[in-house]
Amino acid sequence: MKHTPPAKVIPLWNLSEGSCARIARVLGPSDHVHRLDEFGLRGGTKIEMFRPGNPCIVRLSGNKVCLRTDGLLEVLVEPM
Amino acid sequence: MIAAAKTRTFTVALVGNPNTGKSTLFSGLVGVHQHVGNYPGVTVEKKTGRTSFAGLRFEVIDLPGLYSLAPRSRDEMVVVDLLLGRQRGAAVVDAVVCIVDACNLERNFYLVSQVLELGLPVVLALNMLDIAERRGIRIDAARLRRQLGVPVVPIQANRRIGLPRLKAVLADVAAGAAGDIVESAGKAHPLQRMGLSSGVPLNILPDRCLRCEATVRPEDCGEDTAAMAPDAARVHSTPLPDEFEAEVALLESELAEESNRAAGGPLPRCLVRRLLLDTNGYLQRTLLDDSDGRWASRLAAARERLADAGSPVPAVETSARYDWARRVLDGVVVEPGHYKTTPSDRIDRVLTHRFFGTLIFAAVMLIVFQSVFVWARPAMEWIDTLKEATGGWVEMQMAEGALRSLMVKGVIGGVGAVLMFLPQILVLFAFLALLEDCGYMARTAYLMDRMMARVGLSGKSFIPLLSSFACAVPGIMAARVIENERDRLTTILVAPLLTCSARLPIYAMLIAAFIPAHSYLGGLLNLQGLTLAGLYLLGIVTAMIFATVFKRTLLRGETPPFVMELPGYKWPSPRTVFMRMAERGWVFVRCAGTLILLVSILVWAALYFPHDPNATHQEQQRNSYLGRAGRVIEPVVRPLGWDWRIGCAVIASLPARELVVATMGVMYNMEYEPDSDHRRSSEKLRQATWDGTDRPVYNVPVALSIMVFFALCAQCAATLAVIRRETNSWRWPAFTFSYMTALAYAAAFVTYQVGTWIAG
Repeated sequence: MKHTPPAKVIPLWNLSEGSCARIARVLGPSDHVHRLDEFGLRGGTKIEMFRPGNPCIVRLSGNKVCLRTDGLLEVLVEPM
Repeated sequence: MIAAAKTRTFTVALVGNPNTGKSTLFSGLVGVHQHVGNYPGVTVEKKTGRTSFAGLRFEVIDLPGLYSLAPRSRDEMVVVDLLLGRQRGAAVVDAVVCIVDACNLERNFYLVSQVLELGLPVVLALNMLDIAERRGIRIDAARLRRQLGVPVVPIQANRRIGLPRLKAVLADVAAGAAGDIVESAGKAHPLQRMGLSSGVPLNILPDRCLRCEATVRPEDCGEDTAAMAPDAARVHSTPLPDEFEAEVALLESELAEESNRAAGGPLPRCLVRRLLLDTNGYLQRTLLDDSDGRWASRLAAARERLADAGSPVPAVETSARYDWARRVLDGVVVEPGHYKTTPSDRIDRVLTHRFFGTLIFAAVMLIVFQSVFVWARPAMEWIDTLKEATGGWVEMQMAEGALRSLMVKGVIGGVGAVLMFLPQILVLFAFLALLEDCGYMARTAYLMDRMMARVGLSGKSFIPLLSSFACAVPGIMAARVIENERDRLTTILVAPLLTCSARLPIYAMLIAAFIPAHSYLGGLLNLQGLTLAGLYLLGIVTAMIFATVFKRTLLRGETPPFVMELPGYKWPSPRTVFMRMAERGWVFVRCAGTLILLVSILVWAALYFPHDPNATHQEQQRNSYLGRAGRVIEPVVRPLGWDWRIGCAVIASLPARELVVATMGVMYNMEYEPDSDHRRSSEKLRQATWDGTDRPVYNVPVALSIMVFFALCAQCAATLAVIRRETNSWRWPAFTFSYMTALAYAAAFVTYQVGTWIAG
């Protein structure tokens, strides 16, 4: 069996341009988290950083999405 | 076809995520027979259209783009109420067309699962298959139809491909719905009714199943109806887990007990579910009378039980719905291992670049504004000429008297002055529609977001505010793109502070008359130009300050995180651009024909009555109600350095700011010609003296005080009328008028007093 190293979780804003990641967790008030969930930005989703920064642009299953969290939310990702 | 179907109109609602081509599909279905309005009491745009096909009449409702049917505000509630048939004054929805973007089915199916729960017949319009294919995404529509259990029609809305099929399916759904009128008392599940009407044996309909594929002719789908049944049976009306549904049932019975005592009917199950899911508390406040807090505690207890059972609210909804979406889409979507770089990506590398992107954006905006002023000018002059000619003609045709004066000065003069701005509004909206339709608009919001976030707004407020430099009316209308209610209101409230083109004639006249033409830096800078720039800056700075203030006080509240989809670039459709431009233009014309007409007539009457046929123009002005009012308010405007005539002119300019120039012309007995040399009128202004003295009325501080007043005041009936229309309440235009007038007065006072002190 292939050995997989323990996944490293980093905040989304730390993800560099062009790298792919899987969203690990979205932390914050439940209503805001729910909103992002409904938008498709949820744990387990694969994303790719298109333009880092705040707001940043990420690629989400073929579409591009612009996101500014303002410290209300913390999006944690697992780089792939 | 059943005869009953031919005589009634079927209501079809279009539901879908933003950027799925919903409005394009709407236009494709109803053509030009569109009607835009508002639902009572909210700012949601009510877009309906009538059409007929297959011998049946349809009313199609285009609902705003949504990611979820979870209402968090009054605006979002309207959509839910409409779909549930609870919206007063709106027809009961017979069927829903759910439009989805083939490139992002999983996310789109979140909303689909909520729509299916409503229990209405649903037709799924699968849009943008061509784009998905180009991205390497393969979709098996036939399998989707089987696994979802509702008719699936692949379409290409922008090219109108697949629309005849969609219409045929809708006609069948409608025929099924009409069938139930004849065949059942209307108590059964609507889908079962349709099953009955189309002759599908009931035994293949599972208890809580949501199928209406029976209403599609198998030959349309190329499918065997019977073959769908086993798969379709797996699809339930709600994907939420049983423990959650048990809590919903409990709550439903408790609520039913309550509603037996109260007058209102029982809540539909979907709303009971939402009540439990809505941790934000909006629905609890809206739907329940909870003065003793017992519902709050019951809901909290239910949520706690659910959390203990491993189904925490609201996360249980998203996980259940996405799980359902994955099950339904299993084997339907084949995604590429990794996404190819599309032309959209290559364009975005440049257009969203911090430096180059911003540079291009500035250039685009420059072109837009240049065009608004240059292209609209001939049409504006033409309307002005037409106004003059019509006025002249009416003057010749009618006998002298109050009626003629009313027609010429009140109706034609007042409304004409406002209609002059129609070409600018049309050109601006043509550009905005073009930028929106090709996908660039979302990028501008991204680029400007950082800047707008500093005053508490998001990038989406930028374009509406920028448009307000041409005219606040299209700016306020463009604010519709802002989903966040508070951000939208803040944008609407500060938009009139930005210097619109109607202020230019006032600035031009007063600057030419009173600001010396000093040059600095070898002619590069000029005091007159600097004054004009200063007035623009005054508007911008004040708008920024007030946006921050409103967001921190009046419109304070938790701002949700800013998320926005960046749709792929595409060639704009001339049809969509034209329709959007025409729609906005019509809103403005209707405004001018109603409210603005009323204000113009009122101001005219105040200047005309009491009428003395032998008096000169000036005597008439002085003795009119407006003139008398002007003299009464003179003590109020005196601290600003104004005499009663300026006070009068300000009141008379209520319909539109630029009327102040014409009114002052009448007051000081000078001929005002819009594009002529200002020298003659400037001379007249300089000669004006205070009544009974030789002291000149005007000097630099007075001129500055008037300009500052007009930079900040809300003397524009069109703007106030549009605010009323967009917010659907008189409260906001009244508020805008009060705060801006108070602000303008204070600023003019400071300008005059400080100016006099420096000059003295």
